[in-house]
Amino acid sequence: MQINITHRPGNSAAKVSLEAGESITAEGGAMIAMSGHMQVETTTHKKDQGSILGALKRLVTGESLFLNHFTPSGGPGEVYFGTALSGDMMEYNLNGPGIMVQGGSYVASSPSVDMDIQWQGFGKALFSGESMFLIRLSGQGPVILNSFGAVYPIQVNGEYIVDTGHIVAFEETLNYEVSKAGKSWLSSILGGEGLVCKFHGQGTVWCQSHNAGSFGASLGPNLKPR
Amino acid sequence: MQSKIEGGPAFAYINIDLDPGETVIGESDAMSSMAADLDMEAKFNGGFFAGLAKAFLGGESLFVNHFTNNTSSTRRVTLVQSTPGNTRAVELNGQQLCLQPGAYIASTPGVQLGVQWAGFKSWFAREGLFKLTVTGTGTVWYGAYGGLLEKEVHGEYIVDTSHLVAYEPQMKLNIQLAGGLFSSLFGGEGFVTRVEGKGKIVVQTRSMSGLADWINPRLW
Repeated sequence: MQINITHRPGNSAAKVSLEAGESITAEGGAMIAMSGHMQVETTTHKKDQGSILGALKRLVTGESLFLNHFTPSGGPGEVYFGTALSGDMMEYNLNGPGIMVQGGSYVASSPSVDMDIQWQGFGKALFSGESMFLIRLSGQGPVILNSFGAVYPIQVNGEYIVDTGHIVAFEETLNYEVSKAGKSWLSSILGGEGLVCKFHGQGTVWCQSHNAGSFGASLGPNLKPR
Repeated sequence: MQSKIEGGPAFAYINIDLDPGETVIGESDAMSSMAADLDMEAKFNGGFFAGLAKAFLGGESLFVNHFTNNTSSTRRVTLVQSTPGNTRAVELNGQQLCLQPGAYIASTPGVQLGVQWAGFKSWFAREGLFKLTVTGTGTVWYGAYGGLLEKEVHGEYIVDTSHLVAYEPQMKLNIQLAGGLFSSLFGGEGFVTRVEGKGKIVVQTRSMSGLADWINPRLW
């Protein structure tokens, strides 16, 4: 399998070239083009492991209900993946600790990567303003993630604060808590930052430069009521 | 203080490294990430009444955030505007600059923000009844949806409504039809802003109201 991210950073697409017999799993709706002999199988969870529970769990993360599995039949083939918002994509090779991915950032992964939905607990979920669940990816193999805007990694060593709308993914070696950004709660709320994620420990957080919620809030008032 | 605009022109964001004791002021909700031991404090945008004026008239928020480094070494804060697009840093040395409402992202403490009556012409030009002004000594960061193109005007220049991001205070704005009555109504340009004087203007290559005008007919 070969992954090539093209048209960066504005209108990124991921081109995945597969040998005969290889396959890739992707978020429902992510495919933009593919070889004619590509076989598509739709399940609610990992390939050959569909379950109603898996589907429900996916739904609550803000991801699509279904996953598609692409396998070329009778020779090599290729498939392109894209996303709705403009922005960058990144390839990450899992080999060691797993990563936690924010709901809307997952694009595709190798079948050798395990996917699980993790409940973040009421406190973190209700107040982070984001989905109550994160996708945990573990095992070995490549993963493709997308971001709204550019991606910048932060090596956390100690503590670091990231606004909840700017998280793409983070290594599970990190702990986090949802907290206030300022000195006081009043200051955090008045300053428009509200709640942020405070990461502890050692590991990498990948941030997206732009916040889809803020973009929506500045576009929304210009749109006519439905 | 060291600062660098990264990710431009499509997704500009600002990395600001604060030395011990330094402060930078950011628009509400502009922070995307920061060192956990920086102090962040919300304050009125230049006093209560001035803050109210900027919020209701200048398209800015009532509160801004002060990020202060009270540690003993350099700390980073990353700030960004709400829309994809480019960002610019301008060094002010006593001069004034007029900004489109909503364009302001951040500034150093020596910069004052104000609102001034811009007039009905500006309102017609979809630039707001009031204009945001920045003055003082220091750095101001502003940005817009789209790329930013700078133009040295000597005489007059025409800019489509809602595309004028920044201009020097001596520039006069006038509103007019893009061409004759027929071409203005049917050519899709409608009204335009005529900028007169001698000085620099900055134009955005996209506009949020343009995007909304494209989406609106497609909603039902």
